Amino acid sequence: MTTEHKFASIYFGITGILVTGFGLTDILLFIAGSKYTFGLLFIPDDFFRGAWGGLIMVFGGLFMLSGVKDISNLQQFTKVFLGAALVWILAGCDLLAIFCGAVPAGSDSPDFFNSFSGFISEFAPPYTPAVLLLPFSLVILVLLYRWGFADSNE
Amino acid sequence: MKLTHDERWNLVDEIAIRTVKFGKYKLKLSDVLGELTVKPLTGLPVAVAVLFGFWSIFTSVAGTLITDGFMVKLFDDHFLPWVQAAWPDPESILYFLFVGNPNADSCFEAFGVLTSGLFVAFGIVFPALLVFYFVMTVLEDSGYLPRLAVLLDTFLHRIGLHGYAIVPTILGLGCNVPAITATRILETRKQRFIMMTLVALFIPCGAQLGIMLEVIPETIGFVFLYLIIGYALFGFVLNKLIPGKNPEILVDVPRYHIPVRSNVIKKMWMQTRNFLFDAVPFVLLGVFLVNLLYLGGIIQWLSEVTAPVFVTWFGVPKETVGPLITAFLRKDLAVAQLSNIPMTPYQMISAVVLVTIYFPCVATFVAMFKEGWKELLAAVGVLMIVVFIYGGIIHGIGILLGVA
Repeated sequence: MTTEHKFASIYFGITGILVTGFGLTDILLFIAGSKYTFGLLFIPDDFFRGAWGGLIMVFGGLFMLSGVKDISNLQQFTKVFLGAALVWILAGCDLLAIFCGAVPAGSDSPDFFNSFSGFISEFAPPYTPAVLLLPFSLVILVLLYRWGFADSNE
Repeated sequence: MKLTHDERWNLVDEIAIRTVKFGKYKLKLSDVLGELTVKPLTGLPVAVAVLFGFWSIFTSVAGTLITDGFMVKLFDDHFLPWVQAAWPDPESILYFLFVGNPNADSCFEAFGVLTSGLFVAFGIVFPALLVFYFVMTVLEDSGYLPRLAVLLDTFLHRIGLHGYAIVPTILGLGCNVPAITATRILETRKQRFIMMTLVALFIPCGAQLGIMLEVIPETIGFVFLYLIIGYALFGFVLNKLIPGKNPEILVDVPRYHIPVRSNVIKKMWMQTRNFLFDAVPFVLLGVFLVNLLYLGGIIQWLSEVTAPVFVTWFGVPKETVGPLITAFLRKDLAVAQLSNIPMTPYQMISAVVLVTIYFPCVATFVAMFKEGWKELLAAVGVLMIVVFIYGGIIHGIGILLGVA
């Protein structure tokens, strides 16, 4: 196992703990029925994003943690990849929801489309944990190509 | 030229040597991903995430972006005031039939052929179906659906089916008609009957999903919960009651791959074309007939006659009988109609579940008839019993929880 592999194991170990932790927080806040905002971070309290989304975050984090040992092995690497993919699904859905809400003008406005500045302002923080963790989880794609695990197009 | 047995095998060997390339197979990421998504421990969490993504895309694009973002404004702020002003004589029967309530502020409230009919068809259902079929085609063409079939095989065996039953189930979420036809992929009569009955009872179509999203966005999860429990519960019961075999399956699971754009477009067009040409006339006809029944006082009379069953047993207002009649033509329209009846949130959940399970829409009815009249009659018999029992159970749960 090279230094790069060790570094990757530690990196995704920490990311996995963070993802699992945020997932559990999502679920706990849903049970408590309260949202949480702190700086860039926003944790919703609804069933869909809080409970269901939180559960997926927990699964994603556990997948990452289960794959960090011997990450140079393809089987193990794929578990980390799958964990990251779950974070991508959540983050992608959160960003899509923001996009879909940002394109039309509000119901009070006579216009159909939002102004450009209005559209951009919808993407302002705070963000859900999945969106905040998205850049960190994308590192797996770099490793995918660096370590030659990507499928060739034969 | 006739070959002997040995000569034939020699020929096979020769062809194989010339055409098959031998070598050491290198395991790929997609192979391991494929394995992980069929193993229960890792596959079920992935299925939960895929379902989340499916629902999230559906609600964001069809609900927030298209319907709420553009269609509501187009129909309520522009089209409705124009039709209300342009159509002469608001007191006339024709106005009632085609425009509906002259004081309505939204197309949902108006309930005329040209107002609610067009809004439901093109403002809500069409975008919902487009998005639904897009996501479903991507899942199917990427190779995920066969894996889901393998993953759910054990559970589906408990209700007399096997993994492939997931195909009609998911198809039914788009439209029940192709789902009924798709029951043919199941081997035995027992399996086909159970699947057909469960689709007709517990699977809301994409059109209905779109309307539910618009009418009961906060409580739609409870409706799903009741439908999923009903699917499992009555599937289990039917499996025990109906004689017949439930054979194992051998599924060919393809590798994961990126769907081909032209195939996705072609499939989406084939599926939505059916809605445009077959279902839209039914939506408009449905509004027209229901308005005629209201004008003739038939729905009011039926409400009075069936009030004891609806109010006492199902715990919903007697006016629910109107939407239930509409539901035979179009279930989406029936849910839209429910939104105009004053109800508590729990009554609304019960009423939407009742609309879903009480009877298949006429198009599904015809599809079931094509599969065999004996099966249809038996399925309808089961439907009646299930609706009565399950409707009562839902009401009972509401009473126990103190919300009914």
